Amino acid sequence: MKKVAEVAGRKLTLSNLEKDLYPSFGFTKAQILEYYRRISPFLLPHLHDRALTLKRYPEGVEKEFFFEKRCPAYRPAWVTTAEVAHGGESLTACLVNDLHTLIWVENLASLELHVPLARAASPETPDALVFDLDPGEQADILACARVALILRDLLSQLRLKGYVKTSGLKGLHVYVPLNRPETTFGDTKKFSKAVAEVLQRNYPDLVTAKMAKEERKKRVFINWSQNDAAKTMVCVYSLRAREKPFVSFPLAWEELEDFAEQDDPERLHVLPADALDRVEKRGDLFRDVLAKKQQLPYL
Amino acid sequence: MKNKRSLRLPAKSSATPGRETALQGIWTGTISFSLVAIPVQLVKAIEPGRVSFHLLHRRDYSPLSRRMVCPKEEREVPPEEMIRGYEIAPDKYILVTDEELESLAPERSRTIEIVEFIALEEVDPIYYDHPYYLVPLPGGEKAYQLLVEVMRRANKAGLAKFVLGEREYLVAVKSTQGALSLITLHYPEEILPEEDIAPPADTGEAGEKSRLMKVIKGMTSPFHPAKYADARREKILKLLEGKLKKRAAVEAPEVTEEEGTGPVDLVAVLEASMRKMKKDR
Repeated sequence: MKKVAEVAGRKLTLSNLEKDLYPSFGFTKAQILEYYRRISPFLLPHLHDRALTLKRYPEGVEKEFFFEKRCPAYRPAWVTTAEVAHGGESLTACLVNDLHTLIWVENLASLELHVPLARAASPETPDALVFDLDPGEQADILACARVALILRDLLSQLRLKGYVKTSGLKGLHVYVPLNRPETTFGDTKKFSKAVAEVLQRNYPDLVTAKMAKEERKKRVFINWSQNDAAKTMVCVYSLRAREKPFVSFPLAWEELEDFAEQDDPERLHVLPADALDRVEKRGDLFRDVLAKKQQLPYL
Repeated sequence: MKNKRSLRLPAKSSATPGRETALQGIWTGTISFSLVAIPVQLVKAIEPGRVSFHLLHRRDYSPLSRRMVCPKEEREVPPEEMIRGYEIAPDKYILVTDEELESLAPERSRTIEIVEFIALEEVDPIYYDHPYYLVPLPGGEKAYQLLVEVMRRANKAGLAKFVLGEREYLVAVKSTQGALSLITLHYPEEILPEEDIAPPADTGEAGEKSRLMKVIKGMTSPFHPAKYADARREKILKLLEGKLKKRAAVEAPEVTEEEGTGPVDLVAVLEASMRKMKKDR
């Protein structure tokens, strides 16, 4: 079933609106489009001018998905694109700079939105550093919360401010905004790796800086290698394609402390209705990630 | 941490049944037929003569490692994210889980049960897959020797089915120079058909045939494989020996993933901040 909708003055043909893309939870494509429409004032600045990697689930989260780095050739003329380098080649990527592009992308069932840490115009300049905290077997999001809080305190010793969001899966992402044109991925990788290794040395039972599966068991893997021009991170406010439509959602540090103390991992999983409610009340906690200028010391 | 690499060159001669030191058991169990059951160990019979090299990074001699990378996501894929796919058409696969494969694995058995005896000459060498030796385990020596002797006299090989690892093999057991050897055999469906290879029969003349027969007779001699050395291998070993004498060995760098590899100042500052942070917490 198709429906022509007008989004921000443009006509868009939306398809399969009644299709339940999260069947074990119950979340239709219409609900997904509505979530993205309402979250868009907060989400769009974080997608702006970044080469989008689509992760599409045309038959829902329980069926096959595929990544799409190329902006589909059948895109409407008004979709902004950028030429980006990819494995020695150039490809045309979508830039989601406005609401109608966002709705068009979601109509393609790209439930997850993944973007690089750099903007398309300056692909070698990350505007943030990220610590991707990924719990291994027998570790959970509460272990990630402990590591995130240690990171916050360590960063503050270095006069750096970090911002935390849930991954929407089992992990947490700590962003350190930089927003300086001098920054390179070489810098962010070197810094994040050194921090990860120092944490591993000081908290060997809790942290590993190594990707090997056996090292990760019962520990939190700090994936510093995400600080790379070729890598993407799931965008803040993006849905995740799990059983339930959890959101990659920003948390206040005090909130994270409380949740960690309450020992209740469920509090760290945010559903769309809750996400909209919280973000409409208190605004975008990740706003500063796009604006705050910080310099990595001792490089 | 790094293993001290000893300066060791590959052995020059191939393994023979008597060389206990080179023998490493692959499997232990019993070989049996009729009322005989002999405890034995399976060991490999050949050490491939190929001299193998490691690939090193030209700049620092680090041994290079292979990684499993997803080209789509451009990242290394951990084992828990891997699954087997059987390709049915380009980019189309049928998924098979480890559990499914395990459920199909043959039941492990501890015996090589000889079910019939055959004349090995009847087996075309095309069926030979991989040779092993069977070595007697304590308590089995006498029966083992008896079996070796009887099989040598009968000039027959025992045919058996035998489970090794995940597979069930068809094997031939025979007496070889006072020991028992075991050759895994290919299953008939693994052998490619030969119809397309052989040209239409009988084109030669009788005269030519008898001339060739004579040539073959004249060139016939006992099989002495020692006459034929692997010349390239010998040359490579000589080259390596020469380099070793000149102490031309290079050392791989210490792999210091354990210790911080970040810049000294940064790591020192981070450690100091960490100490301060722990005090403040």
